[in-house]
Amino acid sequence: MFSQPKLYMTWQYEPAPDLDQPLAERLRRFPREPDLTIYGLRSLAALLMRGWLRLYHRLEIVGRENLPAEGSFVIVANHTSHLDTLCLLSALPLRKLHRAFPAAAQDYFFVSVPRLAIAAVVVNALPFGRQKHIRQSLELCRQLLANPGNVLILFPEGTRTATGRLGEFKPGIGLLVAGTQLPVVPCHLSGGFEAWPKGKWIARPRKLVLRIGQSRNYPSLTPGKEAAEHVCADLQKAVAGLDQVR
Amino acid sequence: MTPQLALQSEIFRSYAIIVLGVLVVGGLVLTLRKWGLRKDVHSLWLTYRSWLVMAPLILVCVFGGRVVVIVFICLLGGFGFKEFARATGLYGDWWMTGAVYLGIVAVGVTSLISQPQGEEPRHGWYGLFIALPVYVVALILLIPILRNKVQGQLQCMSLAIVGFIYIGWMFGHLAFLANATNAYGYLLYLLFATEINDVAAFTCGKLFGKRQFRSNISPKKTWGGAVGALAISMTLPWLLRFSFPFFGTLQLIFTGLIVGIGGQLGDLSISVIKRDIGIKDMGAGIPGHGGILDRIDSLIYVAPLFFHMAGYFYDLR
Repeated sequence: MFSQPKLYMTWQYEPAPDLDQPLAERLRRFPREPDLTIYGLRSLAALLMRGWLRLYHRLEIVGRENLPAEGSFVIVANHTSHLDTLCLLSALPLRKLHRAFPAAAQDYFFVSVPRLAIAAVVVNALPFGRQKHIRQSLELCRQLLANPGNVLILFPEGTRTATGRLGEFKPGIGLLVAGTQLPVVPCHLSGGFEAWPKGKWIARPRKLVLRIGQSRNYPSLTPGKEAAEHVCADLQKAVAGLDQVR
Repeated sequence: MTPQLALQSEIFRSYAIIVLGVLVVGGLVLTLRKWGLRKDVHSLWLTYRSWLVMAPLILVCVFGGRVVVIVFICLLGGFGFKEFARATGLYGDWWMTGAVYLGIVAVGVTSLISQPQGEEPRHGWYGLFIALPVYVVALILLIPILRNKVQGQLQCMSLAIVGFIYIGWMFGHLAFLANATNAYGYLLYLLFATEINDVAAFTCGKLFGKRQFRSNISPKKTWGGAVGALAISMTLPWLLRFSFPFFGTLQLIFTGLIVGIGGQLGDLSISVIKRDIGIKDMGAGIPGHGGILDRIDSLIYVAPLFFHMAGYFYDLR
């Protein structure tokens, strides 16, 4: 007559998927789980970095108004030194700090623990496979940009320049944005190569100028190899063009 | 509690020597087992190596004085709560998580400052410290109302309240204990005896454990381990009587019971939470131990019981 009373209810727990992993493993995975400690450290590092760049390198940012205010977008830039990423992050508003993901070489930044700590905590880097797993890395970027409000920072040259000149753009960026509405913002940093060339331990106090160009997108292209090459050539021209505006 | 007082304190110096001695003996036993008896000691070695870092760290904090102890305990409580929140999924709700963090900060602040109207400084604000659960629970209950949200809120509020009261506030009693006149004796005894109790339960369980103690909660714990640990914990107050020379027999018995029984209940209570969620460890922060909560679980249970026992018989000041 009476139904058996239910003695307890069942709650839905959602343990963090990286719960049983040590810190280094948690930093290596992507997307990383939200972590207030890391957000706090990153915000602190960002403030220090902005002060440092402004005082030591007299960083000048031109064309900040060209950054889209809403929605996800991609930033592409020349890669002269480690300062590039820091300057680009400093150009973004602080509230976007935890939503901005510079693509960083998996084989360089995600191997040793000190570099991993800087890449994951300070820079919020996305691990990008340069030699292996390129397709998976591009897919990761695609998923990231499918969420609104994310910023992907890419250096299409794929490595820091050894000569100071702008190198060839790798087709990845083209495959990523051809045939989509995604805005791409070309940027150019000058002074980085003189300040901190590849192989030097410390940066010299050279002046840095970051120029942010007008955003563009490529919705009418049909995705493919040719479209990718076209996008690369166009973006390379845009980045190089920013260098000449003096 | 200041570095100068720590150097003068007989109690602090004795514990520094005892801890060093225990670490050396533990290391020798491990070496003997590995090289003498050719046993596999890999996991024990990991646990021991973490102790080599943790034990001196705790001593340095106690040496550093009152402020350092209070900040350290609150940080442990904060990171312990973070593990709990990440394990249950509460961490996704940053309002609730923030409210609990605020409560843990309040535990630290009320331990640090003294009551506004008067008395001597450096005693903590006892009245507010004890009343903190009222305010923090009120704040937690306010959150769904402010957010105009219903779904899943009972679960979030309950988890946040358990998180604050159990991990933040009950464990926070250890921070307030730094205000006691006999702070060195109380703190060092509690930390040392509780950890010895854990080690004793493990060792006695290995040696004479046969029948399971609480089979559904923690299948590895045995009656042998529990009784053995209680026996050792009952003798410790007498062996370390210099920590509280003014304790009578009754208080020594209480101390032994609180550490011997409370320590194991604390361990089991965290196991209940872990089993219900379906995880093995609360985290992976301390190699060989699991998470911070897996290490401080016994202390969470023991600290407030001891605090109020000592406070009842002898005014903590």
